[in-house]
Amino acid sequence: MENERNALRQKTTRIHLAMEAEETLRRLKAFPDPPEAMDYFYNMFQDRFSNDSILPKGKKIIGTMCVQVPDELIHAAGAVPFRLCSGAFSYDQIGAEFMPAKSCPVVRATCGMLQINDTLWGDKINAVVIPTTCDQKKKATELLGDLSYSVYSLEMPSSKESDAARFYWQESVKQFALDLQQMTGQKITKKRVQKAIAKKTQATELYRQLHELRKADPAPLFGKDMLLVSNAYFLDDIDSWMPAVKKMIEEVKQRKAQNFSAGNRHAPRILLTGSPPIFPNMKIPILIEESGGIIVADEVCSSSRLLYDSVSYDENSLNDMVSAIADRYLKPCTCPCLTPNTDRQRKLLEMAHEFAADGVIYQAFSGCLPYEMEQNQIAKILEKKGIPMLYVETDYSPEDHGQLSTRVEAFIESIKFRKRKKRI
Amino acid sequence: MQYFAGIDIGSTSIKIALIDAEKNLKSSSVCPTGSLFHKNTLAAFEELLEQENMQREDISYIFSTGYGRKLFKEADESISEITANAIGAREVGVKAGKVKTIINIGGQDVKVISLDEDGHVKNFVMNDKCAAGTGRFLEMTARNLEVEVDELGTYHQRSTAVPLTINSTCTVFAESEIIGLLANDKGKSEIIAGIHYSIAKRVARLTRRCGTIDDVVLFDGGPALNSGLVTAIENELMRKVLVPEKPEITTAYGAALIALDTHLYCEDEVINA
Repeated sequence: MENERNALRQKTTRIHLAMEAEETLRRLKAFPDPPEAMDYFYNMFQDRFSNDSILPKGKKIIGTMCVQVPDELIHAAGAVPFRLCSGAFSYDQIGAEFMPAKSCPVVRATCGMLQINDTLWGDKINAVVIPTTCDQKKKATELLGDLSYSVYSLEMPSSKESDAARFYWQESVKQFALDLQQMTGQKITKKRVQKAIAKKTQATELYRQLHELRKADPAPLFGKDMLLVSNAYFLDDIDSWMPAVKKMIEEVKQRKAQNFSAGNRHAPRILLTGSPPIFPNMKIPILIEESGGIIVADEVCSSSRLLYDSVSYDENSLNDMVSAIADRYLKPCTCPCLTPNTDRQRKLLEMAHEFAADGVIYQAFSGCLPYEMEQNQIAKILEKKGIPMLYVETDYSPEDHGQLSTRVEAFIESIKFRKRKKRI
Repeated sequence: MQYFAGIDIGSTSIKIALIDAEKNLKSSSVCPTGSLFHKNTLAAFEELLEQENMQREDISYIFSTGYGRKLFKEADESISEITANAIGAREVGVKAGKVKTIINIGGQDVKVISLDEDGHVKNFVMNDKCAAGTGRFLEMTARNLEVEVDELGTYHQRSTAVPLTINSTCTVFAESEIIGLLANDKGKSEIIAGIHYSIAKRVARLTRRCGTIDDVVLFDGGPALNSGLVTAIENELMRKVLVPEKPEITTAYGAALIALDTHLYCEDEVINA
């Protein structure tokens, strides 16, 4: 009986998931003149979300949550990292059955996904690594343990300012490297780490090139497409992802040379920050650009925070390299689970300036207290600099679409009116 | 003479404002949205033109706004009701000073908009998903108490005792509270005053969330015609609020002003180009 019910639930959820993905893709593709190279990414998501399993085949999988899990070490241990953080409302609803109504949709959807797919994938996910970032992710460690996943809690300090915090994190990452060898059965050697760092560095360099191209005025690329490219990194094989991004860079470069404008020429330039847009929940990015704005930069953990920084090490020793990897995941981190997090304020002001942003849109998922609470500080520093900010609290449910579109449109309009007055 | 139109297609009613090139309100109308709102909007527009002895060609530019703005293809452009409301309110309140805060209660939402010195939208907050404490809520209350919506203000002013406490602004829960109070032989006036206070408290909370309250606070939207609700909001905010002469059409008027501005601006562009 129980098994039968589960099978039915899986079936229905898969239909919901495919519908959700289809709808998001339809809206993503409804914009004029998408770069041809985007087809790879549209097709990839279409494929992954309409098939039974979205896991890469044939390799050991280490599922990760949060951007602080070092990819390089997982690659060096001969496994494939797979970012589990889910953006699916279908999974969020499964999660809501056993998680608090006020928990954040990222955690709820991710746990929901792992709960319903337990029998589907079962032993395919070799381990789930969760850094001790926010309280909800920490508690998810226990929940997933109860669902009989092999869960690894990667201990992380709540600050990055002190030497003690950095030392603690380095030790934690070193221990993780040792434990990874147990999980995968592959010894982590100096050569393997070096190779893994080199590959990830290549990936970040590609990301940065695309990121930099968005500084152009007019902006040659929609933010919704950029976010999809970085989202693809969650689930794609790094060796297929890189050539696809290279093609994107070529095409966007050409467009920039031709002074191509993805949106309207005077479209308000938006910097997006806050809770991460994760496919299929691209609600806010799509709304922003449907309303006539263009996202020229983002400060979110599903995009720039995920791929902007690379590892730099001086000595070729294993110890130094692992420490350098650890540093890469703590020093530039601007997750609001850190206290203090003034670095995020600095970074936002810097980005707003570099990308000539006309305004900031701050998305907070209801239930994510760290983002909700930091909103105040960010609003204040932006106001001081005369940069308008819109704060939107939302979740994965499509219900608030009407309300949100009015709010986002009004914000974009207010920027347009300001710009218009300036031009006259 | 050139005229400009703002058409505000709301959840409950359609509001149309016609202005001349000097920003003067020439004429306006309000009619129910109904289910065939596109047809109804067109009919209302034509009726207004006829009443004013105008032809469609006399209207140089039309801006639509409100929930149905995108579906009314006869408009030249559309704009969100927040921007339109801000611009309209600033203009109608100009004699009182600088409108810095707008409280708008519509058929299905409550909005508070704060404006900066120059009249640009600085911040705005709206009620969340449900229609608690909105025009719909007042309609339901009136129906339960068997009074007309436009009598609510008079009933409120007539109340002599302390307003009764209504805990919920949720239409469904408030309904059962009201029925309970009626069953206990409580006076209609005191119940109505209580309802107005429960809405006003919610509005005051929303207003404080939107930012500092200074200069002129303007209250518009259909429910602003309800003097009882105005009193309750003034008491909760602990200050006077400005209610324009025709509070339902501020947003339509704002859209008409934008139509005028856009028209002149476009002409500028052509000349400069």
